[in-house]
Amino acid sequence: MLDGSFSTVGVIAIVLMFISLVILLGPIFARGFGAFVFKGTVEYRKLMLDKFGRGDRERIIAEVAGAAKTREPVYELMEQFRVELKEKDYDYRSRYGQPFKELEELVEDLFGPAPGSSMPVLVRGQYGQTRWDRANVKLGNILFIEEYDYSDSSKMGELVLVPRADLFAGTSLEPLFRLLESDIEKMMRPRTTVYWRFLFDGSYDSHFFGGIWPELLGTFYLAIGAMLFAVPLGVITAIYLAEYAGDSRFVSLLRTCISSLAGVPSIVFGLFGLAFFINAIHVSPSKSVLAGSFTLALLVLPTVIRASEEAIKAVPRSYKEGAMSLGAGKWRTVVTVILPAALPGILTSIIISLGRAAGETAPIIFTAAVSVGKPLALWETMSQPTPALPWNIYNLATEHEAVDEIRHVQYGMVVTLIVLVLLLNITAIVLRARISKKLRG
Amino acid sequence: MPDVIKTADSERLRDGLLMSKGALRMQSVGALAGRSILIAIASSSLIAILFIFYFIIRDALPFFQIEGIREFLTSTRWYPSREEAEFGALAIFFGSALVTLGAVVVAVPMGVLAALCLSDILPFSIRQVVKPVIEMLAAIPSVVYGFFALVVFAPLMQERGGSMLAAGAWIIFAPLAVLATAVLSDLLSSRLDGKARLVSQIVSVALVGGLFLAGLLRMHGFLVGLTIVSGTNALNVSIILGIMALPTIVSVSEDALNAVGRDLREGSYALGATRAETLLRVVVPAARSGIMAAVILGVMRAIGETMVVWMASGNAARIPGPWFNFLEPIRTLTATIAGDMGEADHVTGSARYHVLFVMALCLLMFAFISNLASEIILRRARKRGSV
Repeated sequence: MLDGSFSTVGVIAIVLMFISLVILLGPIFARGFGAFVFKGTVEYRKLMLDKFGRGDRERIIAEVAGAAKTREPVYELMEQFRVELKEKDYDYRSRYGQPFKELEELVEDLFGPAPGSSMPVLVRGQYGQTRWDRANVKLGNILFIEEYDYSDSSKMGELVLVPRADLFAGTSLEPLFRLLESDIEKMMRPRTTVYWRFLFDGSYDSHFFGGIWPELLGTFYLAIGAMLFAVPLGVITAIYLAEYAGDSRFVSLLRTCISSLAGVPSIVFGLFGLAFFINAIHVSPSKSVLAGSFTLALLVLPTVIRASEEAIKAVPRSYKEGAMSLGAGKWRTVVTVILPAALPGILTSIIISLGRAAGETAPIIFTAAVSVGKPLALWETMSQPTPALPWNIYNLATEHEAVDEIRHVQYGMVVTLIVLVLLLNITAIVLRARISKKLRG
Repeated sequence: MPDVIKTADSERLRDGLLMSKGALRMQSVGALAGRSILIAIASSSLIAILFIFYFIIRDALPFFQIEGIREFLTSTRWYPSREEAEFGALAIFFGSALVTLGAVVVAVPMGVLAALCLSDILPFSIRQVVKPVIEMLAAIPSVVYGFFALVVFAPLMQERGGSMLAAGAWIIFAPLAVLATAVLSDLLSSRLDGKARLVSQIVSVALVGGLFLAGLLRMHGFLVGLTIVSGTNALNVSIILGIMALPTIVSVSEDALNAVGRDLREGSYALGATRAETLLRVVVPAARSGIMAAVILGVMRAIGETMVVWMASGNAARIPGPWFNFLEPIRTLTATIAGDMGEADHVTGSARYHVLFVMALCLLMFAFISNLASEIILRRARKRGSV
């Protein structure tokens, strides 16, 4: 009885771990998928044609025209009401003026600027809703007004949906709502769209449209830059620790330093990067990829050292003894025999550290990351800051002016980052399994 | 041999086999140089640690000159941007401590149990599946956890807070209650024999189990009735931080458990102990220090984490109502550094800039000391194990 329940509790702990992984990744993958595959409206295809020159020009123009035709009745009804509003008395105007203005804005939000009106400056204003799910949300905003019912004071206010049509009951605008509800599909023409170029497109109007290429590229620069500094340092240190260092006091101090470095909170690395690389030795005038890479390199250094040392130590003694007995010197043995044999293991450590560097946010906040920027050319990384996936996930999810409008971009970024990191880690796991099989067999 | 070969020949022979004095010196100089370069490069992490301490302290010191330290440690009024700036960080320290405590409560029981399960209970084949899961949990970037906490978890908590908490409480406490019932009934009836033992076991299981069940139902009722005003609060962050600290705790304590030799386990079994007895009385006590080190490392992970707390803790610099009220927003050291630096950046040299370095110094000292502690514990354990 005791035995059984003890095992059960242990198994439950493990199952809980599984569940938390599934709960964490499930919604993110499900919604992140929506950044790549979704129902795009006619506005989406128009945008793609205008901004990226993609798609069959004539067909899209014809489609846009078709959609515009089905939208005509909506605009006609609104025009009619506008005229009516002008003709009626003050009471009528003050009663319907404000609600009508609100409605006009909502319709513009859904369909883009009305025909004949001036083009807004921001790209987000020039097009209607490009995604069918967002279009439906906007349509819901037109059809219903969200109100909170505070009648029960003991509870929090409850959400009540009031049809907007009630507001305009008895006016010439009333049929508009039914029309919108029934014909929205014709007006927006949703079609399943695969947008794999989400990864490789630049963003328009601070991530309202387009993809995440600047962020992805920035992440690559930062992670690979960090490895460029961390790998030579880390591997040489590992060689020293595994092959040359004895058990002296200096070596144990060194090991303590390595584990302390591993324990430093990532945000402290960020502050150090700011204080040292930027303010003290001026590797760049302000934030730059270079400063960020240096900071990240310090962060991953202990990981590289430890894993490489393990890989070097896992090389069978006989290899080393064989080389030595053939007359090779110590350094020669290390370079020509031990390192090649340990290479897959070292590679594993590099891959894991690469994933770690790609996902870290705190160290690059003050040293490398900006929220909006162009993809950098290689030489610009020495002096320019860059957008990067982890930082922009934070930025878009908390500081962006329209957080709810661009959820799909946020999820898309998160999924890209997770897939990147997990792919790296799975590669490492597979590689490690193969090495251990080889060393055993 | 030496007689046969003439001197000149032997000179030539020696030149062929051995190196000349010059070459020998060259080589030893080369080796020395190589070795020093090697040591220099290997010391990079030593230098890095020294530099980190130096530069953090250098930028932290001016704060003490400008503002002094009393207000910083005793006041809870954090208004760095006001005309009359106030730098009372007590509430922020408290916030860090609170979420870390929460994370420990979430992660330690689960992590240690999972580690026990991995090292002693589950068969090898299942272990091979679980390990990658733990690695994946560890590999997921912290900003992703933060995003999840903010965008998925917080709204869920706000809308269905009560029932979610109740479900969570059932998942956690029901198995523990079952375990406690089993342990207690075993203890209560261990002195008896035969039929009396069976009866006593049944009675005690019914009694203790009923008691626990009543308690759980009561808690359920309380939790379901709870409304959560804001989903971005200490509880949310604690749970997520707990999950993030889990991989560290599991892998370090599993290592410690595995280091407890087979001989101890077999000895215990040979004396007639059951598996649970062996685990509780022999294996866990033997691995105590390793588990302790695991907990310390988990705490370090939780307290040093930035993105999750910055995104999902609510960032309110005050001590919650009753201090243990996890449903209120809090603010932590790491989040304050990350959040305030953006504004303080442009006024380098002000107290507002330097106070963040003071916070970083506190974090750094804490991390450094707990790292040393865990290392000393582990080293001592290793020494004892080898004897």
